Amino acid sequence: MTNQRPAPPPKWLDQLVEWLCADHLYEEVQGDLHERYYIRVQQLGGQKARSLYYKEVLAYLRPSIIKRNSIDNSPSFLQPDMLKHLFTIAYRNLLKRKSYAAINIIGLAVGITCCLLIAFYVQHELSYDGYHTNADRIYRVIHAFRNSQNGETLPPPTPEEYQVWGNAPVGPALAADFPEIEKVVQFTSHNSLLLQNGEKRFQEENLLFMDSTAFQVFSWKLLAGNPNTALVAPNSIVLTESTAKKYFGDTNPLGQTLRVENQVVFTVTGVMEDVPSNSHFTFNALISMTTFRQWRAEIFDWWGYVDFYTYLLVKPQTDIASLQAKVPAFLKRHNDNKGYTISFERLSDAYLHSVAGRQPGVTGNLSNVYIFSLIALFILVIACINFMNLSTARSMERAKEVGVRKVVGAQRSGLIKQFLAESLLLSVLATLFSWVLAKLALPFVEELSGKSFSSEILFTWEVLVLLLAGALIVGVLAGSYPAWVLSQFRPTQVLKGAFHSSNKGIALRKALVVFQFSLSMALIAGTGIVFSQLKHLRSHDLGFHKEQMLIINFGNDQGVQQKIDVIKNELLNHPSVISVSASRAVPGDFIPNAHTEIQSAEGAMLQNGPLLYEIDYDFIPTFGIEMAAGRPYSREFPADTAKSLILNEAAAKLYGYANPEEIIGKRFSQWGREGTVIGVVKDFNFRSLHQRVEPLALRFAPKSEGALGRLALRIKADNIHSTITALEKQWNQLSPQRPFLYSLMDESFNKQYQADLHFGRLFSVFSGLAILIACLGLFGLASFTAQQRTKEIGIRKVLGASGFSIVTLLSKDFIKLIGFAVLIATPVSWYVMNQWLDDFAYRITINPGIFAVAGLLAILIALLTVSWQAFKASRVNPVTSLKNE
Amino acid sequence: MRRSDLGEFEEVVLLAVAALTPKAYSVAIAEDLEKATGNTITTGAVHAALQRLEDKGLVNSYMGEATAERGGRRKRLFSVTPAGSRVLHQVRTIRENLWSRILPHALPKVDLAR
Repeated sequence: MTNQRPAPPPKWLDQLVEWLCADHLYEEVQGDLHERYYIRVQQLGGQKARSLYYKEVLAYLRPSIIKRNSIDNSPSFLQPDMLKHLFTIAYRNLLKRKSYAAINIIGLAVGITCCLLIAFYVQHELSYDGYHTNADRIYRVIHAFRNSQNGETLPPPTPEEYQVWGNAPVGPALAADFPEIEKVVQFTSHNSLLLQNGEKRFQEENLLFMDSTAFQVFSWKLLAGNPNTALVAPNSIVLTESTAKKYFGDTNPLGQTLRVENQVVFTVTGVMEDVPSNSHFTFNALISMTTFRQWRAEIFDWWGYVDFYTYLLVKPQTDIASLQAKVPAFLKRHNDNKGYTISFERLSDAYLHSVAGRQPGVTGNLSNVYIFSLIALFILVIACINFMNLSTARSMERAKEVGVRKVVGAQRSGLIKQFLAESLLLSVLATLFSWVLAKLALPFVEELSGKSFSSEILFTWEVLVLLLAGALIVGVLAGSYPAWVLSQFRPTQVLKGAFHSSNKGIALRKALVVFQFSLSMALIAGTGIVFSQLKHLRSHDLGFHKEQMLIINFGNDQGVQQKIDVIKNELLNHPSVISVSASRAVPGDFIPNAHTEIQSAEGAMLQNGPLLYEIDYDFIPTFGIEMAAGRPYSREFPADTAKSLILNEAAAKLYGYANPEEIIGKRFSQWGREGTVIGVVKDFNFRSLHQRVEPLALRFAPKSEGALGRLALRIKADNIHSTITALEKQWNQLSPQRPFLYSLMDESFNKQYQADLHFGRLFSVFSGLAILIACLGLFGLASFTAQQRTKEIGIRKVLGASGFSIVTLLSKDFIKLIGFAVLIATPVSWYVMNQWLDDFAYRITINPGIFAVAGLLAILIALLTVSWQAFKASRVNPVTSLKNE
Repeated sequence: MRRSDLGEFEEVVLLAVAALTPKAYSVAIAEDLEKATGNTITTGAVHAALQRLEDKGLVNSYMGEATAERGGRRKRLFSVTPAGSRVLHQVRTIRENLWSRILPHALPKVDLAR
């Protein structure tokens, strides 16, 4: 035994004990451990004592020792009594400040509703074509038809150079050459035919000639008929449910017949469900492709004839890139034209991601999806900010409550839980409310967006789970800051009364208001820009008469075409009709491309495929299209019917003539016709202003070719309705076999902007709501500030301040913030809206005035919101406000 | 009632508290029991048993004065409560009753020295 002090026990074990052991037990535990250790050192020696020490420490690793918070022996938070108490407090607080509660709940509910509705819209946009069972294995062929002079090899086409519309033979050739392709399905562009069942006779639009493999590739449900054979035999037609109802009512259409164009008879071989609204192309009925083959057998072998869409179902695990790699060799085998190439596009990309031209249906706009998602986020953020702002602003009122709670022993964690629970209560209430709101607003949004959502969408478990999750997230997010701030008050300060809301809190609240109003102001400016662009589109000089043009659609009726001159003259006899022209298509209609060779300045024949109108003598004057050079078709030149061609300026440029005068008299060859170019028309916008004016050829269509399908009548502006009635009577006498189907040019032409219009309307509605929510928040905040300063205002009034000066005093702070927000929002919205405008070929340049107006508007709205509260505050009698201290 | 159940180890610890009072604390008890049984008894086990006994209301405790051998740390001293005393007496009565009823040759002979 030595007097030397023995080595202490291992330090890290001591630290472990210190770390694990509950605070109130630590002293005795550590004391016990050490005392025992030194006893053992004396009895058994250092080594043995040390090894036993491990055992000793281990023996303390038990819950009764480790349990940390045994000081907090208050009942658990989740006890019924405690919950009841918290609920009562929350409920009383709601009642005590009804207006705050209403602002909070309504703001949040409107925010959540907007989010939900936008989510439906976005989800709908993203869901396109997803219903096809084999969607991941379906691809479509996209074609690039370019002009390769002297057989040189061209660089790979840009994505924009591709088009979906292509030739027929590529489909069977792909199916024959590539074993990895399981099925090929081809269909034509939309046709319009006169269908008739007894009395029921309609010019049926949106008819597709479709391969018999359609139901094996696409997952449309056939309600009656055999999916494998329905489209095999010629003259078979598969109707969608609503088309079937239109012609056959409630009788079973299967096996019945429809008379087509007064010539042939189709047999109904199937009825399918209506094409889902989230399909990138739709139709009213499918006609077997063999029918079309009977009509025009030769085009099925022409690689240069464009009228088909080709979709492929590839076998599972097919690598599309390796298929793409085999394309050059494939094309060389079948069609050695260097200007022609194909590529493949996924079905899932067809609606939102395809930039290829000549789509089979209306495509979506990815940037709209982004913009709306962003707006949804903005609205939710604004609503959450309101919530946080109001709660923290009210923190002063509840500071005493917090102080008292802390004095009687509440812990911070308990207080945080209390405030979180309160905000959760509010957010759950708001969510319930928003569900009801969404239900009410859904039809309205459907109308605004032009989309149809399933009526059960609000009852799907996904939506309910999402809402619940949303309520929790919003409740926690929006509640966490107030909970954090409120729970950290020091009871001594709060209860002493020397408490002021901290500068930090005020700065944060200000920052949040600035942020909110930046978003609002950006949305106001955005709305202004969207609408001025839409107005620009509508008022843009298209280069032809769009107003007071009545279009009669007679399909391709041979009877009408044979009598076309008589009909034109008869219609012209009506005093309100100024002029009449016949053509195959009118601006806004779908038109084909035509392979056209024109002599270049050097004398060689250049090949291109401009778009094509087939017109008569009166087309150019009736539409008021101006000539840039040369002359229009004229009855005085008999050669015009077969040996002349008119182009537009863009086409002249395409063939290398910057000056349209120079192309006059050059030789052309087009669709079996040869002769000279006699005129160039000024570019007119025959399609949507999203695109530049494309090269166009205006070909003379003699009635003998049977290509005509439209009559365009320029009529006087007054009494349009009686004119139409009179013309209808006349038409029914002239061609009773053909229904009088008319449209007004400006209306049908504006349909191209339907999607833009929907966008604009949705945008403005949601912007309006966002601003409303922001104002609600500002209103609450302003009234709170006014209330906080009641005494100050009272004293000022006693000292002689005028009402006006008090209103100014209270509004000034807010207006400064809004001004700041305007400064932030201007560049941001300018940038974003510029991106949006880039999608239009004819766009406005953003007028800085819009920002000035939007800024002033934002300030005005804020001023109105704030000054009402300020005014109310300034009216309070100082006697009332100062009497209680 | 489950609370008044007394485990074997608890009973021994409770007896040790009674024996060591007024200087009954975990280290002394552990040392004592270790000497008496020959097994290693950790203070942690004793501490836990004492906590349980206190929960059951069989012992009382208070913090003693600081002592030098514990590096100035105080120790918790234990004493048996009336309830503890009653339990001990009950247990003893039961045991003695049973011992008194064992017939002379009922138990095999063992050498206690071993």
